[in-house]
Amino acid sequence: MKNQTKKFYDWVDSRVQLGDLVAFMSKKYVPVHSRSIWYYFGGVSLFFFIIQVVTGILLLFYYKGSSDLAYESIRFIMSKVQFGWLIRSMHSWSANLFILSVFIHMFSVYFEKSYRKPREMTWISGMFMFVLALAFGFSGYLLPWNELAYFATKVGTDIVGAVPVVGEPLKYFLRGGDDVTGATLSRFFGFHVALFPGIFTFLLMLHLLLVQRQGMSEPMHLKIIAKAEKKTMPFFPNFMLRDLLLWLIVLNVLAILAVFFPAELGLKADPLASAPAGIQPEWYFLFMFQTLKFLPAHVWFIEGEVLGILLFGLAGLLWLLVPVWDRKSSRGQQNRWINYIGIFSVLFIIILTIIGWVLK
Amino acid sequence: MGIKMKLIPGFKLIISVLTLILVQYSYASEDQCFNCHRDLEDNPSKLFVEDVHYKVGLSCSSCHGGNSNSDDMELAMNKSAGFIGVPSLNKISEACSKCHSDAVFMKKYNKNILTGQFEKLKTSVHGKLSVNGRGMMLQCTTCHNAHGIKKVTDSRSPVYPTNVPATCNKCHGDASFMQSYNPSLSVDQLTKYRTSVHGILNAKGNTKTAECASCHGSHDIFSAKDVRSKVYKLNIPNTCSQCHSNKDYMKDFPIPTDQFEKYQKSVHGVAVFEKQDLSAPVCNDCHGNHAATPPGIESISKVCGSCHALNAELFSASPHKKAFDEKKYPECETCHGNHEILIAKDKLIGVEEGAICLKCHAEDKNQKGYRVAKIMRSQIDSLMSLDIVAKNLIFQAEQKGMDVEEIKFKLREIHQARLETRTIVHSFNEAKFKEVTNKGFKASEMAITEAKASIDEFYFRRYGLVVALALITFLIVIIFLYIRKIEKTKSV
Repeated sequence: MKNQTKKFYDWVDSRVQLGDLVAFMSKKYVPVHSRSIWYYFGGVSLFFFIIQVVTGILLLFYYKGSSDLAYESIRFIMSKVQFGWLIRSMHSWSANLFILSVFIHMFSVYFEKSYRKPREMTWISGMFMFVLALAFGFSGYLLPWNELAYFATKVGTDIVGAVPVVGEPLKYFLRGGDDVTGATLSRFFGFHVALFPGIFTFLLMLHLLLVQRQGMSEPMHLKIIAKAEKKTMPFFPNFMLRDLLLWLIVLNVLAILAVFFPAELGLKADPLASAPAGIQPEWYFLFMFQTLKFLPAHVWFIEGEVLGILLFGLAGLLWLLVPVWDRKSSRGQQNRWINYIGIFSVLFIIILTIIGWVLK
Repeated sequence: MGIKMKLIPGFKLIISVLTLILVQYSYASEDQCFNCHRDLEDNPSKLFVEDVHYKVGLSCSSCHGGNSNSDDMELAMNKSAGFIGVPSLNKISEACSKCHSDAVFMKKYNKNILTGQFEKLKTSVHGKLSVNGRGMMLQCTTCHNAHGIKKVTDSRSPVYPTNVPATCNKCHGDASFMQSYNPSLSVDQLTKYRTSVHGILNAKGNTKTAECASCHGSHDIFSAKDVRSKVYKLNIPNTCSQCHSNKDYMKDFPIPTDQFEKYQKSVHGVAVFEKQDLSAPVCNDCHGNHAATPPGIESISKVCGSCHALNAELFSASPHKKAFDEKKYPECETCHGNHEILIAKDKLIGVEEGAICLKCHAEDKNQKGYRVAKIMRSQIDSLMSLDIVAKNLIFQAEQKGMDVEEIKFKLREIHQARLETRTIVHSFNEAKFKEVTNKGFKASEMAITEAKASIDEFYFRRYGLVVALALITFLIVIIFLYIRKIEKTKSV
């Protein structure tokens, strides 16, 4: 058996020079320190993305992306297709856990200032993927074409419409018309299964390539320790096995959630019905939604909602460009303001999300 | 003393009559308008002599204005003296209402007289703007006449109970007139009315029997579609019961007075009074309205069948039809009653206590019907039991978070079959009845099977999860041990 495996390895190696890759991986080391735990959230996010792709493809076998058939096809998946309920529940739960994991990964990178030179491109590619992850969530939420999804999409696209200058045309483009209709569902389906995965895969490849080329970022306080005194572990197999271990634990959690709290389908969307009470977006949009609700109708000469959108836009832009304006961290100096801004952001998101949830 | 007391009321009466004659004479002699017009022998003055207003001493000027004390025509009929001539349109009713809306004034003549007639007329359907757009459709004089107005209790009055139908019919029987106001309204009400019990008695001079105003009101008449109308569908039972539930009023008529009481308890009455269901029948749906009459033995099934069409059709083709006809049993009423028709429960059929079939069928009498009734009841009971079992299983599956929407459709099929048994039972045919119950049995069997499968699936998921968790945890342990091993080896 061993001989057969070696023969196969040699066969592949002679054609694609696997040896170089194995040599690269065996020489690659991951820093070991008190904050190493945060390294694993990138891998966990990747694992959830893989689950999303696999379960998404399985759902595609039966899902029908039209307003007449979408809801019924999901019901069919849930009740008639073997393990269809499990696949859909896993897809739904994994989507939420993916975004949670991405949030944790992003904030851990931010607080460790891992975006500093030379990893600016890694941060920016990661940020684009974060936005795409949210877009995946927003577009996927509509696909079951149920009551909640329909009205949440209506509210969501209305908010997009409030963006100055480009809002209205953008809203029209997203909806495929003046209102949320079957045309919206068709294009959201297209975005969700073709456009976003295509862009995301490209960014993911770039992100992983950069991580592999540049290695894991060391916390700033380790810079002063001599290289010989630094603890490391081989990327392969030690780090990868730990990654795998965590992935399996996460898979267990996902299975429990999918079985005990299966994804609900609710009532079919009825564009002529009045919106049910307490319409809310998914939890990861809740802090923004709640902030917009808290803002007064007018602040000076500007509409409260428009001001909120502009401020979130500005904050997002500054967040994206943090490697550019945080020069101190890049020079290896402590920048406490980064920590203050980060703590404020985390608290803001958590508190507003909780308020939004409670005031539902 | 005793003789004096008896004499005083008689004396008072004589004095009153003499005073009235004196007052009338003096009024008439002082009313110069009347004096001139009487000399002219015109129609109004001829009629006015018999007018109730003339008799209580009112003069022409009370309605027409002017100075009735002057014998100079120029002065008497001068506008400066308030003379309005012949009032037209709403001015007519306004002239009447000057006195008839004044409660203090009217009490002088009759303590019990009502004074809201004009206000009621204005809000009624007849108070709406006429097609000419200048006045109400109807003025006081349209029904009460102008110069020869009599008391309502006077048999010569057009609004005396026996005269009301003809008075209303002046307009309501005139197709060319009515089409200007309501082209869809029939104009044969009087003809129909004359065929009704009410109409026949009315024509014979009975003033207690219902005429137009008894049901529609007099001054406050609204369209039958108006919720304020006494003949609005949901108000009809109360309107009819005004007379028909009044034992004193109805004592001259040999019919019961408990119809309303019974109707209130009936399935129809509950639908009308509690659910405000406009599709439920009220008195006139079965008895007719203008041609109100109790349905006869033959027509009962036709009356009920106008709504319960399928039941009536099945019954007509059933063996019971012939049997009922021979025995002169009223068709629907024999089993369901008339005014107190209760919800048709399953217990009505069968051979158990309370079953109606036992009225005619027994083990030793009309045995075939007895056997069929027994089978039908047994089938209904079985279907109900299976329905309960299916419902419970579906509830259990739903409680476990399983998707049971499709199974619920089967439940509807069972309900549908149970509902259909209530209809098909009127065929009194075992084979036809079983066709329906078999549909229900099939649906309940499928529902029960699928609900059980759904519950099994729930447990399969739980057990499957346990197995999957065990396998994954086993892998986790293996990897954990392997990591420890390689890291231990390296550190060694």
